Amino acid sequence: MVDLKVEIAPGVILKNPVLTASGTFGYGREYAPYFDIAKLGAIVTKGLSLQPKTGNPGVRITETACGMLNSIGLENIGVEKFLADELPILRKLDATVIVNIFGNNQSDYAALAAKLDGVTGIAALEINISCPNVKAGGIQFGTDPQAAAKLIAAVRKKTSLPLITKLSPNVSDIVAIAKAVEEAGSDSLSLINTLLGMAIDLDRKRPILGNVTGGLSGPAIKPVALRMVYQVAQAVSIPIIGIGGITSARDALEFLLAGASAIEIGTANFINPQTAIEIVEGIENYLKGQKCAKITDFIGKLEKV
Amino acid sequence: MYLFNSEVVSNQKLSQNIYRLRLKAAKDFCRAAAPGKFVMLGTVDGLLDPLLRRPFGICRWGSDWFEVVIKVVGKGSCQLSNLAKGVLVAVHGPLGNGYPNAELESEQKSLFLVAGGMGIASIASQLFFALDRKQSLVGTFLLYGAANISELILLDELTAASSSGLQIQTITDDGSSSRQGFVTQLLIHELQTRPQSRVFACGPEPMLKSVQKILQETGCDGYLSLENRMACGFGVCLGCVQTVLSETSETGMETAKVCTRGPVFPAQQVVF
Ligand SMILES: Cc1cc2nc3c(=O)[nH]c(=O)nc-3n(C[C@H](O)[C@H](O)[C@H](O)COP(=O)(O)OP(=O)(O)OC[C@H]3O[C@@H](n4cnc5c(N)ncnc54)[C@H](O)[C@@H]3O)c2cc1C
Ligand SMILES: Cc1cc2nc3c(=O)[nH]c(=O)nc-3n(C[C@H](O)[C@H](O)[C@H](O)COP(=O)(O)O)c2cc1C
Ligand code: FES
Repeated sequence: MVDLKVEIAPGVILKNPVLTASGTFGYGREYAPYFDIAKLGAIVTKGLSLQPKTGNPGVRITETACGMLNSIGLENIGVEKFLADELPILRKLDATVIVNIFGNNQSDYAALAAKLDGVTGIAALEINISCPNVKAGGIQFGTDPQAAAKLIAAVRKKTSLPLITKLSPNVSDIVAIAKAVEEAGSDSLSLINTLLGMAIDLDRKRPILGNVTGGLSGPAIKPVALRMVYQVAQAVSIPIIGIGGITSARDALEFLLAGASAIEIGTANFINPQTAIEIVEGIENYLKGQKCAKITDFIGKLEKV
Repeated sequence: MYLFNSEVVSNQKLSQNIYRLRLKAAKDFCRAAAPGKFVMLGTVDGLLDPLLRRPFGICRWGSDWFEVVIKVVGKGSCQLSNLAKGVLVAVHGPLGNGYPNAELESEQKSLFLVAGGMGIASIASQLFFALDRKQSLVGTFLLYGAANISELILLDELTAASSSGLQIQTITDDGSSSRQGFVTQLLIHELQTRPQSRVFACGPEPMLKSVQKILQETGCDGYLSLENRMACGFGVCLGCVQTVLSETSETGMETAKVCTRGPVFPAQQVVF
């Protein structure tokens, strides 16, 4: 037996480092027919806002080389409906739940944090300040260290739940943002969200996505994500959750070496709904093969070139 | 629904760029199959190229196999169409709601199955379902349109079944079959003499829009099978949503996931 337990925020100890990324795992129960979701480190919900949101019109997804673009536009059922209809199901399924939230402005974020504070069955909040698909989807906070810090400080005041700030890669210096939100009271960081991209239908001379631009995810972004996790890990002392293009246990382990305490699986969940649980098993087998008894002995152990 | 790797039993070329794959499946899968449901198909080589699985209608099935009909339009369909006997394919399904029972209400006289292009794969699933169970198709009409005569597929098998009572009319955009025009012209014409009919349609969006309008004008009951782009096929990405009318929402409209609530919708519900 390998001890796979990791601490992703002070006091938040997960049974293993495998989480599922927001927006790629529905509200969790959709995966229950495929495997026991209680066996994951945690599931992260689709991004929730105060009011339900219908998302963007037109074509919302398109495949690109080794990846996909999406412009869903944060469609979600709203926090009230989540608490009434979805959370009770997740509790019954015994899943560890991290709730991902976003808002149009600081007071939305604060109100969401207040509403979720003290709710039983929520392990932590993931604050999305990085969705590239909506004008007011947090990205205005995610690209400016000061704005990000101010937002996290405001959210911090409203909840005692551990806070994970989800960072955008669409910035020139991700380390500056990471440090600013650490300072402001974020307990943990998750990175990266999607990279802003675009696809064109040459023959029709038109953008493919209804929203023109969209977020790039999948294996194509893994090198960028690894680099960012590595750089941020050198600069902050709070735990990091690595996200971006993970499709196998080997991918996941690379993020752990780079300094992530845990990882989230996104696009790969669409291809094979059992990916996340297969990665849990794959990590355990790999570490067994390495005669590593504790995953914490593996995290961050990247050697010099 | 089931996740499994399935062996190609046969791969038959039906026209220049349309192929029929027969795949092995467990009995449970075949029991869960129904007309209008679909599968997500992918490769098993682990190379993740293409990355996402692709949706295809379950066109016909037996006790331990099912068939899909694939038109080559890009990378994913090209790869699948090239698979030889014995090769493995990753299968996820059966997915989606499928067509409602094709039985006619007492006052309804005829059932019109309207197919445009590859919409035939979904529409034919109902016909094969009835034929394989020796059900009568008296009062059932297949109206089938395609770009040209070589893209009119499966007709041999369906015509051979005409002893079942099925009546077939075809039409092509370029007139290379007997009639030139759109399949919706056939529908308008037929509904003039058979106003109390039920219509099931699958095809490109402009065709479905036009069918919806015809149904509105004639007051016929109908269902449309949509083929929005999909990333997951099981309700978790929100990539496939379609705006539909809603009684509960304030705006009178809501988004519906085509992969789980559809792909088949009551025609009057869809907001194009
Ligand atoms: C529920 C459902 C059932 C389907 N059943 C069948 C079937 O039985 N037989 C069949 O041949 N096809 C069917 N399709 C369409 C099929 O899924 C697409 O043609 C296929 O995904 C294209 O993949 P590709 O990699 O070959 O093309 P890509 O490289 O992804 O795209 C090539 C071209 O195809 C178009 N395209 C991509 N996805 C779709 C789509 N979902 N609908 C229409 N056009 C698309 C793109 O606009 C592009 O121009 C179905 C689609 C759905 C949603
Ligand atoms: C269809 C889709 C929807 C997403 N929705 C959200 C969301 O609501 N909130 C969020 O913080 N991230 C969202 N993301 C970003 C993912 O959580 C993840 O950060 C990103 O996809 C990179 O990981 P991947 O390459 O493993 O997919 C979404 C991604 C995809 C592909
Ligand atoms: S295809 Fe993913 S929700 Fe329908």
